[in-house]
Amino acid sequence: MAWPRLTLVIGKGGAGKSTISAALADHLAQRRPTTHVGLDQRGSAARLFGVAPPQRSAIQVRRDLELIALSPRRELERFIQRIVPVRMISDRMLGSRTFAYVTAALPGLEAFLLLSRLSAMAGEAARDDRYVVVDGLSTGASLELLSVARGIRNLAAAGTLNRLAIDLEGFISDPNRCAVAIVVAPQQLSLKEALEAASALREHANVNRIVAILNAVPAPLFNQAEAEQAMAADMAHGALVRRRLDLDAAVQRVRRELAAAGLPVIELPMLFTPAVGVAEITRLSRALGKQVEL
Amino acid sequence: MKRGFFHSRRHRLLLCLGPGGVGKTTMAAALGLRSALEGAAVDVMTIDPAPRLLDTLHVDGAVSQPQDVDLQELSVSGAGRMRALKLDPKHTFDSVVNRYAPTRAMAEAILNNRIYRSISTALAGVGDYMAMEKLLELYDDPEAALIVLDTPPAREALDFLGAPERLLDLLNSRATSLLGGGLKLSDLAARAVLSAFDRVTGLHLLSDVHTFVRSFEGMYQGFAERAAGARSIVYGPECLVLVITTAEELRVEETREFVGSLERTGLSIDGLVVNRVAPPLPHKSGLKKINPPSLQKKMQRNWRDFAALKQRETAALRVLKEMLPAGATMLVAPDLGREPRSLADLAEIAGTLDTPHFRK
Repeated sequence: MAWPRLTLVIGKGGAGKSTISAALADHLAQRRPTTHVGLDQRGSAARLFGVAPPQRSAIQVRRDLELIALSPRRELERFIQRIVPVRMISDRMLGSRTFAYVTAALPGLEAFLLLSRLSAMAGEAARDDRYVVVDGLSTGASLELLSVARGIRNLAAAGTLNRLAIDLEGFISDPNRCAVAIVVAPQQLSLKEALEAASALREHANVNRIVAILNAVPAPLFNQAEAEQAMAADMAHGALVRRRLDLDAAVQRVRRELAAAGLPVIELPMLFTPAVGVAEITRLSRALGKQVEL
Repeated sequence: MKRGFFHSRRHRLLLCLGPGGVGKTTMAAALGLRSALEGAAVDVMTIDPAPRLLDTLHVDGAVSQPQDVDLQELSVSGAGRMRALKLDPKHTFDSVVNRYAPTRAMAEAILNNRIYRSISTALAGVGDYMAMEKLLELYDDPEAALIVLDTPPAREALDFLGAPERLLDLLNSRATSLLGGGLKLSDLAARAVLSAFDRVTGLHLLSDVHTFVRSFEGMYQGFAERAAGARSIVYGPECLVLVITTAEELRVEETREFVGSLERTGLSIDGLVVNRVAPPLPHKSGLKKINPPSLQKKMQRNWRDFAALKQRETAALRVLKEMLPAGATMLVAPDLGREPRSLADLAEIAGTLDTPHFRK
C-alpha cells in the first residue's frame, strides 16, 4: 500500500520525534515534494536540517522539501480573521478577555481548527502528489487532536460544524490520507505509552494506519560469553560491554511486545555520533528508505 | 561547615518542574523518599496521568486520597513516613464546587452544566488549578513536614503557575462584559462571532456559557483567596523550585525556554537537576590487554560508540551550565542503566543528589 499523504509523528518526550520526522520528510522528499509541519514552536527539525526555524512563512530546505510551523492558536486567529474580516476588530477581539470564554468553553476548538487545517493539507497533497509530515505532538496531545472531531460531532448535532466533523473523521480513518507513526524508544515506559496510544487511537479516533517506529536500535556487538570474558579481563570495560548487552535486551523486549500488539514496526539504528545534524538525518532517511515503500 | 544541597529544613514545598519525558515523576518520588528516610513526614503528589509513580511505590492509583508507602523494605532506622497521592482533577474540582457553592442546588446546577463538564475534564488549566487546590489542603496539615509536587509535562512552564489566574479570570463574572452591557468594540465583536458561531454550528454555546458564568457568581471570592494562598506558598521562602531536565541536544533548547519563562514570572529557580547522566567512561588504555584480539577490536568499537554519546552529553551539559540562572545550583543524577522500578532504585538516585555539580 502506498505511503499515506499525511503522517503524524507522535511519541513520548525524548523518544526522537523531531529527528525521525525530519528523516521521514527527507526520505519522502526524495520521491515527491514534501512539507514538514512543526508544531513544537522551537523549530527542532529546522535545527537538525541546519536552517533557521520557520516563522510565518515556509523555509525551503531544498527544492522539494519545505518546513512550516503551525500552532493551534494561530489557526484560531486565522479562523477569527475569516469571520471578522476587519483586521483591527479581529485583533482586538483575540486580545480581549471576553474571547477567552470562547476558547475555554469549547476546549477542543483550537485542536479542531488545527485538525481542519491538516486535513486540508492532506487533501492538497493528494491532489498535487505530495507528502506532509507533522512533528511535535506528545502522545496525549495527539489523542486530543485526533479525537476532537468525534467530540465536536457529538456536541453539534447538526449544522456546518457537524458536517465538518464528519469530514474530519473520514480523513482520520482513511489509510491513504492519514497515518500515525508512534516513535518508541527501547524502554518500558515508552513502550507502555505507545501501546496505550495505539489502542486509544484505534478505539477513540478510528485511526486505521498506525505504525511503530522503534528508534535507537544499536547494532549488536557481543554475546553473553564475550561479556563474561570481558568482565573477567577488565571490570570497567566489561561493564561497558554489559551496558551494550542491556541495550540489546531492552530492544528485544520492546520488539517482541510491539509485534504481539500487532503493530507494523520500522526500526532505526542508534546513532553513536557526537552530534545529530544533517549527516545523521541522511543516515536515518536511508534506513527508512529500506523499510518504507512508496 | 558545608552541607548537602537538600539539607536545609526551611523548605516545606519542593516543586518539580520541567519538560515532558525527563523523569520528573521519578525525581519527585526519589526526593520525597530521601527526606522520608531522613525522618521527615513527606507527601508526594503527582498530576501525571500515567500511574507510574504509584507503580514504583506499590500504591493503588485508583484512590484519590494520600496513601502510605511502605518503607520497611528499605530497613532504614529512623525513617519518617511517606504518602503518595495521584491527583484526580475532575474529582477535586467537583469537591471544590461543592465546598464553595452557597447552596446545594447551585452546586448541582454547576456540576450538571455542559460547559462545566467539558471544562472540568478537558481544559488544560483545570488540572493545574486543582493541583494548587490540593496543595493547599496538604499544606494545611501540620503533620506534613515536606510536600513534593510533581507537575504535568508542560508545553510552557507557565501552564502550571498561571493556571489559577487564568481560570479565575474566566470565572470572574464582574470582570467580563460578555454577558453584561459592555460596549467595547472587541466585546461586541466577540458576542457577534459567538452568536454567529452558535447559529451556524448549532452548539448553543452562548446560553451555556451564560449559565455557567452566572452559576459561579458568589463563589469567586473563595476561589480567588485559595489561588492567592497557593501563589504565596509557591513564590514564598518555604518553596524550593527545581527544574528537571536531561542532557540531550534538543532538550537543552526546550529547557532554556522553560527556564526563561519561569524567570519572567518572577519565580527564582533553586536547582537544575540533570537526570540520566551516563557514568564516566573507563580509560581507553585498559583495552590493550584484552584478549583475544577479535574481542579487543569489538570492545574498542563499543568504547568509541559510548565515547561519542558521552561527547554529545558533555556538550549539552556545558550549555546547561551556561544557562543556569544566578544563584541556582546544578545537580546531576546518574543513569542507573535500568529503569527505576523499586524504592531502592529511587533511594539510589536521590542519594547522589546531595553534591552540587556546579553552582552559579
